Amino acid sequence: MPVSGIVSRPTYEALAIDPAGRRHLFVADHAFEPDPGVFAALPSEAPVELWRALAEARVGSGAGPRANALARDFRSTTQLLDALAYRLERERVGLRLYAVGLESFVWDVARLARGLGMDSSEYRLSHVGSNRRRVYCVHCRAITENVATNVVACSGCGANLFVRDHFSRRLAAFMGFQIDAEAPGEVPPIEEAFP
Amino acid sequence: MNQRFKPAETFRRDFTFRNSDEAVLRFPFPFPEDSYMYSVNIEPHTPGGPTAAFQAAFDVDEHYVAECAERAIVLEEDPGRCKVLPHMMAAQWDTLELIMESFARDYPQDFSLTKEGTNWVWENRPLGIKQSFVFGDAKTLPCEPFEYITRQAQGDFTLQDQREDNLFVDGGMVTTQADWSLEFNIGMTFHEWHGPVPLAHQLGVFDRALKFLMRLQYGQPVRRLNWTMTINPRLDTSPENYPLWGTDRTTVTPENVAEKVFLRVELQTLFRLPRSNAILFGIRCYLLSVADIARVEKWGKRLHRVLLDLPTELQDYKGLTRYRQTVVDYLAPLDDGAPLPSGIAPGQTAL
Repeated sequence: MPVSGIVSRPTYEALAIDPAGRRHLFVADHAFEPDPGVFAALPSEAPVELWRALAEARVGSGAGPRANALARDFRSTTQLLDALAYRLERERVGLRLYAVGLESFVWDVARLARGLGMDSSEYRLSHVGSNRRRVYCVHCRAITENVATNVVACSGCGANLFVRDHFSRRLAAFMGFQIDAEAPGEVPPIEEAFP
Repeated sequence: MNQRFKPAETFRRDFTFRNSDEAVLRFPFPFPEDSYMYSVNIEPHTPGGPTAAFQAAFDVDEHYVAECAERAIVLEEDPGRCKVLPHMMAAQWDTLELIMESFARDYPQDFSLTKEGTNWVWENRPLGIKQSFVFGDAKTLPCEPFEYITRQAQGDFTLQDQREDNLFVDGGMVTTQADWSLEFNIGMTFHEWHGPVPLAHQLGVFDRALKFLMRLQYGQPVRRLNWTMTINPRLDTSPENYPLWGTDRTTVTPENVAEKVFLRVELQTLFRLPRSNAILFGIRCYLLSVADIARVEKWGKRLHRVLLDLPTELQDYKGLTRYRQTVVDYLAPLDDGAPLPSGIAPGQTAL
């Protein structure tokens, strides 16, 4: 049943600035420091912001002063996405959004952006970091995060999910299905597949 | 109750589904040649064709009432099997209009539609439904228009929105599917939702099919056949319920193979819709047991030959790996190797 070479899997290009934008907002799920070369194509007065989720409680207003006044650090991706939704609801045409991080994070950002009226020419996604996957259980709809192995126990129903190379941009997740549904207990050797 | 329907059939648990002799002979057998590979096998969907299944825009057969009841059971357990994205409301009304008008035209003894301006009255006699409503006003129906009418039709349906030089699967009623998930796929582009299909991408099948479908004209529907095999006459072979039906594939033996294994054929139809410019994709599922296929000499021999040299990738993708050989062994003694005429017509008028 496992089939490889599935073409719904997204591909990503290296992070590049869109000079057509009037304002630029970078969001990252880690302590991202953009390569200065990325900004070479921009006029120096173009506003650039950098939002980062640091997975750390001791950040917030005044907790992490940075040279760039337009930088904001968040405690979690959840907090960052929440602030991003608030921000995008109030944005005007001309913003360019750049998401940098794990696939699950960058597609969460894409979903939020689309839902708030941005089209695919207004945001860019850059996958960096590990290849760990968010897995959607097709049987119970529960999400299992940070999956590094070919087979994982579903966080919802406990099924031994085989992580299929089939990706839903809407769910920002790969499909998992019960690998031993036909012959209970017949599970292939568990290996690291998404380091 | 109209005598032509068999309302008590089931597609789960005790599996009382059976095909009459007439239903066997009208089956849309999918193999015109002795071997099978993916192709863009699309033809105009005009009345007529090799068997009676091709006579109507939307075929209504002896299983109609039972299949509508089966759909209601699936939706009761999992309402998410019917889902339409919010921007598709015009396509919902297009679908309702197309199915109601087609049913009333093709089966006037069973269905009627009366219109006075936007005040419509729909009568579905096999299901005992009479509904007055205002076309375009969803509040005058018991549920949204796409769900309303597809609950009264056999087979699955999806809605494709055409934009950005692509087709997006932005809605569907999917309760009788061959192992694909609407919930997972909704919103995907044409190539994304066909992502898991092996070999066909490399053959360029989806590139050509997409180009063709983007030019599909209103009033000129098209059709194709697709197929797989299913253990027991189970309509709901969804990935959602794979833990419930997966073990069926291990139960095939030389003794039960003829009655337990079914050829599952999808008569797929595509209609351009007039207001929304969306495409309605009908996926009508037919099931015929290996025993019944063997009663049609040409079909029994041909199925044997197709299964014999089916590429391994397709065996795996279609889930046949565990029992294909058992089916081949059952059919082998019936196949004398004599040349068969091409085409899918049964080649006989009685069993």
